[in-house]
Amino acid sequence: MISQFYILSPRGDVVIRKDYLGDVPRTSSETFFRNAKFWKEGDGEAPPVFNVDGVTYMHIKEGGVQLVATTRANLSPSFVLEFLRRICTIVKDYCGFLSEDAIRKNVVLIYELLDEVVDYGFPQNTATEALKQFVVNEPTVVTPAFYQAKPLFSLNKGPTGVFKSVLETNRTDGKRRDEIFVDVVERITCTFNASGFIASAQVDGAVQIKSYLAGNPPIKIKLNDDLLIGKRDAPYGHLDAAAGGGGRGFGHEGGHMVVLDDCNFHEVANLDQFDVDRTISLVPPDGEFALMNYRTTHGFKPPFRLHAAVEPDPNSEFKALLTLKLWCEIPADKAASGMEVEIPTPRYVQRVHCDLDTTGGTGGAGGGGGAAGGLTGRAGRAAAAAAAAGAALQAWDYNEKTHLLRWKFKKCPGGSEWTLRARLTLERPYSPGLRGEVGPVNLRFTIPMYSASRIALKYLQILKKAADKNYNPYRWVRYVTSSNSYTFRT
Amino acid sequence: MSDGKYFSTTKRGEIHELKEELRSLDRPKKKDAVKKVIAAMTVGKDVSMLFPDVVNCMQTDDLELKKLVYLYLINYAKTQPDLAIMAVNTFVKDSQDPNPLIRALAVRTMGCIRVDKITEYLCDPLQRCLKDDDPYVRKTAAVCVAKLYDINPELVEDRGFLDMLREMLSDANPMVVANALAALQEIQELAGPGKDLLQMNSQTLNKLLAALNECTEWGQVFILDSLAAYDTRDPKDAEKIAERVLPRLQHVNSAVVLSAVKVILRCMDVVALGPGGGEDTIKAWSKKMAPPLVTLLAAEPEVQYVALRNINLIVQRRPAILANEVKVFFCKYNDPLYVKMEKLEIMIRLASDKNIDQVLLELKEYAQEVDVDFVRKSVRAIGRCAVALDKATERCINVLLELIQTKVSYVVQEAIIVIKDIFRRYPNQYESIIATLCDNLDSLDEPEAKSSMIWIIGEYAERIDNADELMAAFLETFPEESSMVQLQLLTATVKLFLKKPTESAQKMISAVLSCATNETDSPDLRDRAFIYWRLLSTDPEAAKDVVLAEKPVIADDSSSLDPSLLEQLVTRYLATVAAVYHRPPETFVSRQRLAVTRAEELGSRKFEEEDGAVAGSLVSDNNAAAAAGAAAAAVGDLLDLSEPSPAPAAAAAPAVAAPTARGLDDLLGGLDIGGSGAAAPVASTSAASSDPFASFGGAASAASAAAAGGISPAALSQLPVLLSTPGGVSVSGRLVRQGGQVVYLLALKNDTAAPVDGLMIQTNRNSFGLSPTSQVLALPGPGVLPPGGVVVPVRVPLTVDGSKVTPPPLGTGLQVALRTNQVGVLYFNDAVPLAALTEEGGTMEAADFLNAWKALPPEASARLPLAVPSAEVAKQRLAAAHLVVLAHRQVPATGQDAIYATCRISAGGIGQVLLELKFVAGAGGVDVSVKAERQDVSQLVFDGLPAVLLGTA
Repeated sequence: MISQFYILSPRGDVVIRKDYLGDVPRTSSETFFRNAKFWKEGDGEAPPVFNVDGVTYMHIKEGGVQLVATTRANLSPSFVLEFLRRICTIVKDYCGFLSEDAIRKNVVLIYELLDEVVDYGFPQNTATEALKQFVVNEPTVVTPAFYQAKPLFSLNKGPTGVFKSVLETNRTDGKRRDEIFVDVVERITCTFNASGFIASAQVDGAVQIKSYLAGNPPIKIKLNDDLLIGKRDAPYGHLDAAAGGGGRGFGHEGGHMVVLDDCNFHEVANLDQFDVDRTISLVPPDGEFALMNYRTTHGFKPPFRLHAAVEPDPNSEFKALLTLKLWCEIPADKAASGMEVEIPTPRYVQRVHCDLDTTGGTGGAGGGGGAAGGLTGRAGRAAAAAAAAGAALQAWDYNEKTHLLRWKFKKCPGGSEWTLRARLTLERPYSPGLRGEVGPVNLRFTIPMYSASRIALKYLQILKKAADKNYNPYRWVRYVTSSNSYTFRT
Repeated sequence: MSDGKYFSTTKRGEIHELKEELRSLDRPKKKDAVKKVIAAMTVGKDVSMLFPDVVNCMQTDDLELKKLVYLYLINYAKTQPDLAIMAVNTFVKDSQDPNPLIRALAVRTMGCIRVDKITEYLCDPLQRCLKDDDPYVRKTAAVCVAKLYDINPELVEDRGFLDMLREMLSDANPMVVANALAALQEIQELAGPGKDLLQMNSQTLNKLLAALNECTEWGQVFILDSLAAYDTRDPKDAEKIAERVLPRLQHVNSAVVLSAVKVILRCMDVVALGPGGGEDTIKAWSKKMAPPLVTLLAAEPEVQYVALRNINLIVQRRPAILANEVKVFFCKYNDPLYVKMEKLEIMIRLASDKNIDQVLLELKEYAQEVDVDFVRKSVRAIGRCAVALDKATERCINVLLELIQTKVSYVVQEAIIVIKDIFRRYPNQYESIIATLCDNLDSLDEPEAKSSMIWIIGEYAERIDNADELMAAFLETFPEESSMVQLQLLTATVKLFLKKPTESAQKMISAVLSCATNETDSPDLRDRAFIYWRLLSTDPEAAKDVVLAEKPVIADDSSSLDPSLLEQLVTRYLATVAAVYHRPPETFVSRQRLAVTRAEELGSRKFEEEDGAVAGSLVSDNNAAAAAGAAAAAVGDLLDLSEPSPAPAAAAAPAVAAPTARGLDDLLGGLDIGGSGAAAPVASTSAASSDPFASFGGAASAASAAAAGGISPAALSQLPVLLSTPGGVSVSGRLVRQGGQVVYLLALKNDTAAPVDGLMIQTNRNSFGLSPTSQVLALPGPGVLPPGGVVVPVRVPLTVDGSKVTPPPLGTGLQVALRTNQVGVLYFNDAVPLAALTEEGGTMEAADFLNAWKALPPEASARLPLAVPSAEVAKQRLAAAHLVVLAHRQVPATGQDAIYATCRISAGGIGQVLLELKFVAGAGGVDVSVKAERQDVSQLVFDGLPAVLLGTA
C-alpha cells in the first residue's frame, strides 16, 4: 500500500508530506529528487515508476509541482498514478487551482484532505462530493497570476479556466452563483507523410463537467443522433445495437456519421436511454470529472494541411529556399488561436530570413489574399491592407542554437491560406538531401468552439423540481480542439 | 486568511509562543495555534515537543479543533508512540462519541500507536466500531483490524476480528466491503500463503461480484485483484466472472481497466481448459479487450507508460489481442522518451509480414530524429524486425542502407551492429552489401560497432578483396583498443589468415599474437591468443575446423522474457509493479515490518535534534528542547509499565470503575505505587496521614487548609493559575520551600457536574530532579474533588530524585501531569522559583567567600530592571529566600550599596552559588554578578532574583 505521499516544488523542497505507513525513511524525498533529476539511463526523464533500494517511487507532474507516492509493496502502479491524478483534481476542486502557491496557502486543508483520502495506505473515498462532509477546513481560493498569459485551454490540463472552489455551492450569503460547465475537449494526433497524405490520425476526446449547482440536481445531456460507436466493419462494445441506427451511414464514406472507435463513461452516467436517443442522465457530483472519454480515427477532417518545398537558390549555391504553405480547413466562422509551426532545420543551416507573404496567394478562399480574404470572405479589398492585416497576425523567429524555425500566428481563421518563404544560409553547398533534413514540421494550436470529431451537445437540461421558478442556473457548453501531436513529415 | 501565514514566524522562541497560544482560552486563537503546529508538521518540522499542549486542546466540543488535534496526533502516533499513549484515554472515550466522524477518528488514530500493550485497550472500542451503525465508522474500523494484525496477530485471531471482516464483505455499504477486502488482502500478505484468510469460495465470490458495480474505483481494483487471485478450474465459473468483469473495461480509471484485463486473461486460461478449448469465447473476449487497451494510450504519459509495460507482456502471451493495432503504438513527437522506448518494443513485437512496410516507414522516420537514444533504439528495432521476419529482411536492409547514407555517425554505427546480427541470422544471403559498409569505416569509434565491423571483415574475408588492408588499418591501434575490440581483432586476424594465407596475413597474425601474448594485461585476450597460437602451430586444419566452424543461427531474443517468468508475470502479477519492472516481486519487494514498540522501552528514547536549518531553528530554543526531552521522559515516568498485570492494577486504584477508562488507569495505577494491589491503599493513607491538609479531614475548608499549609485563604486564591479548562478541572499552584523540602501548594477546582476522583500527580524529568514523594494526591476526605467549583487545597511534597535530572542546560521549567478518572490526563507547565531551591543554612565563611570568588571562573553579570527601596529591605528579602548575606558595604564613589550573598542549591547538583548585588537604593536597576561551579546557574539566578527582591517569592 502507499507508504508516503509528498508534493515537491521544482527545487525539490517538500511542500507537503504525509506518511501513512512509516516503513520508508523520511529522507526518501531527497532520494527521489536526486534520482528523478539525474536519471541514470541517458538524458531522458525518469520513468514514472522506478525502484531505488527496495522503495518504489511513482510520480506525476502537474501545476509545476511533483506529486510522489512511495511504497515497498507490489501494488498496482496505475492505481497509484490514477490516485495521484485524483489528488490533483481534489486540490483543484477545493482550491480552484493547483500550484505550489495554492498548496502553500492551503496547507492545513490539503493535509486534512490527504488524511481523509488515505487510511493506512489504502485509498478511501476520493469523490469531492463525499469528502465535503468530513473535511472542516476552508480553502483559500487562489487565482494564478499567470492566468492571463496562458491560453484559455491548455493541453492535458482539462478545459476549465474556472478557478472556483466546490465549497462555493455551500454559500448562503446570496453571492452564490449556480452554474455548470460542460466542455467537449478534443486532442488531435495526426501524422502526414511526405506526400501530404495522412499516415495516422486520431482524436482523443472527453466530455468534462464541472458543476457548481447547489443541491446537486440531476441533469440530462443529449449527444448527436448520428453518433455511432464501434468500427463499422467490426462492431463491438456494448452499443452494438446502435449499428442499426447507423445503417444509413454505411453508404457514405466519412459521411454524416460521427463514429467513435471506443468510449468509456464515468460511473455516475445513467446510460439506459443512450442506445435509444443518445441521452445520458446523471447527478453530477461536485468538482470536475470526465463524463465520457472517447477516441476516434474515422471521418474527421484534419484542420490544417501543409506543403513544404525546398529549392536551390539560383543566385548562390550556399543558399536554399524553403517555401511552406499552410491551409486552415476549418469552417470560416472558427479560428485557431495561438498557433505555432515548428520547423527543425539541419545543423549546417547558419541563418534564416523569412518573408511572410500573404498576397502571393494562389487565389485561395476569398480570392484576394490568403488571410484577410479568408477572414472576411469578401474579395475586392485592397491587397495592401490585406497583406498588412495578414502580417500583423503572424511572425517568425529562428533559433541559431537549436536550429529551429518558428512561425507563429496570433489567429488563424478558417479558410485562410498562408505562405512562408524562408531563405536558408548554409555552411556547405546545397544538395538535394536538404529536403529530407528539414522537418518534420510540427503544429501546435488550439481551436475554440470547434470539435474535430463533430460530436456535439444537443441539449443540457437541469432537471430540478419546479419549486423555484426563478431557478435558472448558468449553463456553459464549450468546445475546444487542440493539437496533441500534429506532424508533417518531409 | 490563508495557511501561508502559519509559516511566518520562524524566529527563536516560536515554540514557546505556540505553547502560550495553545493554552489560550480564546478558541479562535487556539485553533490558529494548532493550525500553525500542523503547518510546521506538514513540511517536516519536529513539533512533537508541543504534544502535551496540543493534547490538552482535545477536550472540546468544537469539531474543527478536535479534528485538527487528531491530524496532529495521527502523525505522531506512529513515530512517537510514547507520546500518543498519553492520549489513549481520550481515544477510548471518543470512540463512543455521538459524532461518527469522531468515533472513526479515534479508532483510526488508536490503531496507529504501535505499542504492544496498547492493543488490548483497542479491542473493545474496535469491536464496537466494527458493528457501528455508521458506515464511515465501520469502514475505518475494518482498516484498523489490518493495523492491529500487524502489531499483534494472535490478538486479532483470538478476538474473532477476521470473521467479522469476512462478514463485512456482505455489508450494504460498498466502501465498507472494499475496505474489509483490502484489510483481508493485507492480512493475507502478512500471514503468508500458509493461511487462507479470504476463504474464497463461490459464496464469497458472489458477494464480491455483487459489490463490484457499486464500489468506488479504488474498491473495484481491490475486488478485481481478489477475483484474479481466485483459483478456479471450472470454465463456467470463469465465464461468470468474466461476464461481470467485462463491463469494467469501459471504466475511466486505467487501474480498473488493467486489473479487469488481468482477471479476463486468467479466465481465458481457465476457459481454454474447457470443451473445445473455448476458442470462440476467447476470441470474443479478445475483441472486447483491444479497444480499452488502446484507449489507455490516450491517457497521461505516466499511465501510458504503465499500460505499455503491461501490454508488452500481454502481446507476448496473447499476441492475437492487439495484432491489428500496431498503428496506435506509433510514437508521437511529443511523447516522453520512456513512452517512445516502450512503444518501439511493442511495435517490434507486433510487426508482421502484413504491417512491416508501415512499421519500417515509421522506424525510418524515428531514425532521423534528434534524440540519440531513441534513434539508436529505432535502428536496432529495424534490425530486430529483419531477424524476426525473414520475408521482410531485404526491405529492412534497404532501410538500413539508406540510413547509412545519412553519414550520421551513431546511425551508421548502430546500423553496422544490427547488420552483423542479420548476417548471423541469414548467412550467405546479403553479403553483397559489405562493400557499402566498408565505405564507412572512418566513422566507427564505438567499440561495439567497431568489433561488429571487424567480425564482418573476418567472417567474409574471402569475399572482400582488400580485407587484409582493412584489417591492417584496424590493427594499427590494436594496443589502445578496448578488450572487446581486441578479442574480435584477434579472432578476425586468425580467420583472415586461415582463409587467405598470404604473406601480409602471416605478418599480421604473428604481430597480433605476440602483442596479445606479451604485451597485454587481459587474461582473456592472452589465453585466447595462446590457444590460437598452439592450434595454428600444431595443426592448421584443426584450427580451420575450430575457427571457421559453422555457427548456429540466432533468433531475436534480445528482450524476450524467460517463458516461466512471463507466465508468472502475466497470470499473477499483471497490473502490478512487478509487471512494470518485468521482474518477479521477490527481487524488489522489501516489505519491512515496522517495529512494535514494547511498552517497557518507552521513555528510554532520546530526542534527537534534527539537522537542517528549519528544524534547527525550532529546536534551538533551549526551553523547547528541554521541554521536548522532558515530554518524552515524562511518559516513561508516568507509565512505568514493568509489571502491568491488569487485574491487580485495577484494584490498586480503587476508584477505577469505568472499563473504558482502563487504558491509562492501569498504566498509572499499578506503577510507582508499588505494583501490588495491597500497596496502593497503604501508600495513599500514609501519604494522607503525613499530609497536614488531609489530617483535618472532612470537606477541607480554605481556612483549615491555610492553617495547615501556612497560606491564608487570600493567598490561596492568589496562587497563579497553572491550568484552566472552562467547564473542567482548574489547577492553581506554586512551588515553595517548607521545612527543608520543596512543596507544591496546589489549589484544585472542579467545575464539572460530577465529582472527580482517582487523582494522581507526576512530574516530568527536570533540571533539579524534582518529583513527588507519592503519586497519589492526598485529597481531604474520600479523595474526591467535589463538583461545583469548590477550591480544594492540596500539598504535594517533592523530593529530589537523582535519576530524574535532565542534563544541562539548566531550565526552570517543570512539566506536570495530573491524572483523573473522569477528565483524563491534564498537563501543565510551571517554573521552579529560586526560593524553592535554595536551602536553609546555605552559608559560608566570609574568607572562604573571598577565596572562592577569586578561584571560580569569571562571573556572569546582568542588570536587573528593579528598584530596591533600601539595602535593609533587600537583605530581609534575600534572607527570606535563604540567600545568606555575608557582607554589605557602601561604595562612596557611586553611592551604591554592595551586598555579597551566598546560597546552596543541592538539587540538580548545583552546589554553592556566590552573588554580588550593587544598587542605588530607591533607584531603578540592580547589577548582579554570579559565580558558581556550574556556569549555567547564572541564568537561573537572574530569572529567580526579581521575584526574591520584589518579595513575591
